[in-house]
Amino acid sequence: MGGARTTGFMARQIRKVVVLGANGAMGAGSGEVFAAAGIETTFLARTRDKALEGQKRAEKLAKSSAISRFIRVGSYEEDLARAVADADLVFEAVSEDLALKRVYLEKIDKLRQPDAIVATVSSGLSIAAMAAVGGASFSRHFLGIHFFNPPNVIVGCELIPHAGTDPLVVGDVTELLRERLGRELVRTSDTPAFCGNRVGFKVLNECAQLVERHGAAYIDALLGPHTGRAMAPLATIDFVGWDVHQAIVDNVYAHTRDEAHEAFALPALMKEKIAAGCLGDKTPDKGGFFKKGEKPNAELPEVARRMKALHHVGRYREAFDVFADAGGADADLMRRVILGYVSYGLARVGEVVESVADVDRIMGFGFNWAPPGALVDLIGARRTVALVEAARLPVPRALVEAAERNQRLFDAAHVDIGRFFHG
Amino acid sequence: MTRPVYILGGYQTDFARNWTKEGKHIAAMIREAVAGGLAATGVEPAEIEVGHVGNFAAELYAMQGHLGAFLVDVDPAFAGLPTGRHEAACASGSIALLAASAEIEAGRYDCALVVGVEQMKTVSPARGGDFLGTAAWYEREAKGVEFPFPKLFGRLGDEYDRRYKLDDKHLARISAINYENARKNPKAQTRTWYMNEDHARACDSYNAVIGGRIKVTDCSQVTDGAVAVILASEAFAKKWAARRNAQLANVPRIKGWGHRTAPLLFDDKVAESRDQPYVLPHTRRAITDAYRRAGLADCWALDGIETHDCFTTSEYMAIDHFGLTRPGESWKAVEEGVIALDGKLPINPSGGLIGCGHPVGATGVRQLLDAYLQTTGQAGAYQVAGARTFATLNIGGSGTTSCVFIVGV
Repeated sequence: MGGARTTGFMARQIRKVVVLGANGAMGAGSGEVFAAAGIETTFLARTRDKALEGQKRAEKLAKSSAISRFIRVGSYEEDLARAVADADLVFEAVSEDLALKRVYLEKIDKLRQPDAIVATVSSGLSIAAMAAVGGASFSRHFLGIHFFNPPNVIVGCELIPHAGTDPLVVGDVTELLRERLGRELVRTSDTPAFCGNRVGFKVLNECAQLVERHGAAYIDALLGPHTGRAMAPLATIDFVGWDVHQAIVDNVYAHTRDEAHEAFALPALMKEKIAAGCLGDKTPDKGGFFKKGEKPNAELPEVARRMKALHHVGRYREAFDVFADAGGADADLMRRVILGYVSYGLARVGEVVESVADVDRIMGFGFNWAPPGALVDLIGARRTVALVEAARLPVPRALVEAAERNQRLFDAAHVDIGRFFHG
Repeated sequence: MTRPVYILGGYQTDFARNWTKEGKHIAAMIREAVAGGLAATGVEPAEIEVGHVGNFAAELYAMQGHLGAFLVDVDPAFAGLPTGRHEAACASGSIALLAASAEIEAGRYDCALVVGVEQMKTVSPARGGDFLGTAAWYEREAKGVEFPFPKLFGRLGDEYDRRYKLDDKHLARISAINYENARKNPKAQTRTWYMNEDHARACDSYNAVIGGRIKVTDCSQVTDGAVAVILASEAFAKKWAARRNAQLANVPRIKGWGHRTAPLLFDDKVAESRDQPYVLPHTRRAITDAYRRAGLADCWALDGIETHDCFTTSEYMAIDHFGLTRPGESWKAVEEGVIALDGKLPINPSGGLIGCGHPVGATGVRQLLDAYLQTTGQAGAYQVAGARTFATLNIGGSGTTSCVFIVGV
């Protein structure tokens, strides 16, 4: 097995994949994506029954039992050695805990074929730190693949090589993800939370920080789907889970120092409630910002109401005229957060990703948020610069260039921009 | 045709969208499609002289009639624009195209905007199924029937089975091909769905029977979608091509059309065709009318077909009715790979109604836009290499209204 790659000119054929942690949401979801492409995929978990649960989960996602033709199941104890030795790609999706991941990665390194690729689905831990568990060969064959949940629906995906990943491995995995798995793929640097979560959770945490002063219902009403997202920000944190939110923002806060550093500080209110076991929708009795299934009953601020009414009939540009021109404290706060997203997202170009198109793709296809570039196009690049300055936010280089050249930023012609704005 | 009608291009919304979840009115759908069509063609709003909207049942799905008037709302330059709305069930979009092209042929106007639109996700599938029943003779074929249309098109399969024998594995293959093609279409509703022939052949809780021999995978989708195309006279197309540094000869034309209506009741259709080789002879006539008007000898003059696969049985019917095989032998074209994307005569490279989606009143316009994209080499990953001539077949009801266009350069 695994002998297909003989020269640097031929892409390695990935025929067999092993998923560790295949009973979890990310493991089963990722396994579904591999199996759906007709790749023989082995679902491994602590017990065979747990792996079977993952398989059922994959069938449910695929809405088909036929997908199981490509799925095998097993337990670590019984099947890890055989399955990993036979795999072209080993996909680690155990809990987001560096120590635990290291344990499994060490085992994998001892069992894998010398040219087998090893990937972690971590949503933001250091890829280089994980690569260091093995020898030089392991390091060369190791990288991060970040799917977003649920991966069968959300096609945005980040590929994170570390400095030592073999470029041929990067090429093979790129081909696999883009061509065979149909991913909207973005390559990012090995920096905390990569691109999507760094930019997305900056906004989410900033919204959480604003709760103390303004209240949760008001924040979600002001910054809801009319600002370019399927779900309002605080409802999103409840949905994701407060523990996951904390892990992401704490990691970024501890390991980066950028222009929005304080936006990653977990608000005291959340810290206290997490300590009391309040984790959002997954603890329905305790809830999060809201109780699960409960619709916050806040009156829409006038600026939000006007934007929503315009989106309702497809007048997106005019809705952003309202966004740009409206006076008052509500509009000021909305602009500060949304332009903060644009400013922070575009500033990651050159640091985390190569181009504006990369940030746009991961926010659009990973988060289902209006891409920063698309917002700039709707508002107009020059007007965006003026608004960003007025909000006392940094004006990123990519935005300055777009304004100078008076050019559009969002380049995915097959995407209906309107889908991001809810009426 | 006396005066040629050119297709300048157009725009399709992403058929995977749920506009109700987005909180949108049908006006937003029309607006996005028109804005996209104008941008894609570079036609100025002020150059549009008339607008036609194809739509089946906005009164039921969205409590909204008078859709033509929504065009005027799209751009200030459309003030006073003559508009109208056309309905013939799932063939509504093609009826709008026929009206617009007739006006250009008659010399009334030089540039016409045609929009097909349907917002269907406003109601539950069962209620939507009941609305669709109005495309049959509601009182006699649909009232009180759960999902009447799968049952009617199941009976089309039964009729094939009775006359010629029908193996359901060929229907499964048709479904799988449509889904497979849809995966290559960035606007297709099912582009990310899991689907293959194994699944289409399975019959379990994930692929349940909806009516008769029709299972979930045999059905087209409940889809929200809007499509705009711009049609023009030769004089306008010449001027338009010149300013885009293009050759008029490379601008696709509607080379032929066919339009026939069969009895509304499915029983009457079958009774009428009892001793004939074609199960739906009026559909066959619409196709041969179009061939004759376009000066085509037969289907082999085509490079591809976008057909009305509201169910796998309707595509099965289209295969012999287009003349790919002798009547009753459609299975041969399926089995021999003729209709696959890389086959001798690909059917539904877009994914069709099963894969791309079926926003009822928009489908005919979507098919014409796909024929345009194919014949101008702009269909991307689902392009049929070197396509110059494409046909569309759009059907309303249980094979009741049949509309065909031949598009070519």
